[in-house]
Amino acid sequence: MPVSAYLIVSALLFTIGAVGVLVRRNPLVMFMSIELMLNAVNLSFMAFARFLNSVEGWIFVFLVLTVAAAEVVVGLAIIVSIFRTRRNIDVDELSLLKG
Amino acid sequence: MTFEQVSFFVLAAVALASGLGVILFRNAVYSMLSLILNLLSLAFFFLMLNGMFIATIQVLIYAGAVMVLFLFVVTMLTSDNASVGGRDRLRWQWGAGFFLAVIFAGSLSLALLQGSVARDACSFDPQGCLAAQVAKNGNTETFGLALFHAYSFPFEVTSVLLVIAVLGAVVLGQRALRAGREAPLEQNGATERETEEVANAR
Repeated sequence: MPVSAYLIVSALLFTIGAVGVLVRRNPLVMFMSIELMLNAVNLSFMAFARFLNSVEGWIFVFLVLTVAAAEVVVGLAIIVSIFRTRRNIDVDELSLLKG
Repeated sequence: MTFEQVSFFVLAAVALASGLGVILFRNAVYSMLSLILNLLSLAFFFLMLNGMFIATIQVLIYAGAVMVLFLFVVTMLTSDNASVGGRDRLRWQWGAGFFLAVIFAGSLSLALLQGSVARDACSFDPQGCLAAQVAKNGNTETFGLALFHAYSFPFEVTSVLLVIAVLGAVVLGQRALRAGREAPLEQNGATERETEEVANAR
């Protein structure tokens, strides 16, 4: 398969993730959509590593994975703390920065 | 069609369908399981692209550890709160989102189809390019050599980032506990209050 096939799959996955962030109102699903976008980018990094024959793509995927893990931990902690104070996590109703 | 093409199209179909499932399922737990399927299909893509080590850590760390943490929180928050299920008040957002998605995906695909890939590293560096190194050293060792020699500083910075994330999660959890009632001092009282809070949430 040519490199553009992998890149188009990656672009479509990224688009799905972006649409998820735009249309869904549940912060957990928005978070999953962000994960989807990160993984779409990982796929294009892997495709470039394979077709340009350079190891930098793998290193970037590793770093993105680590950043995604850290992001999940902090983001879920924030969502849980919002849920504890508000009992409700619909993003349309979270219009105040101060609880 | 060769085996590679067949597996590519099957994997692409699975990845795109599960990606759509993430944003279309109304129940967040189903979205979560769909996301795990998507991550697994991406791991198979990585295998097709000769990245065995990255595919392994994708399954172990991402689809395993990170997603289990995610699934815990999703099941904790969606169990009995109907408003979390994602009722949409603004229906037109779906139409607008779909319209923008078509524009975005179309322009990205156009750019990808018109562009051309830069020169393969093997054409000017036949000894040091990735394929030659993997053939000589093996997959994991090539990755490890690159990570701990050329990219050891980013690797160290990653550890700092992880420590910061752990501290941030601890601080956020603590503040939420204290907000429940006046600062719990002893550990025992804190855990009791915690279970009481969870019981109240039910």
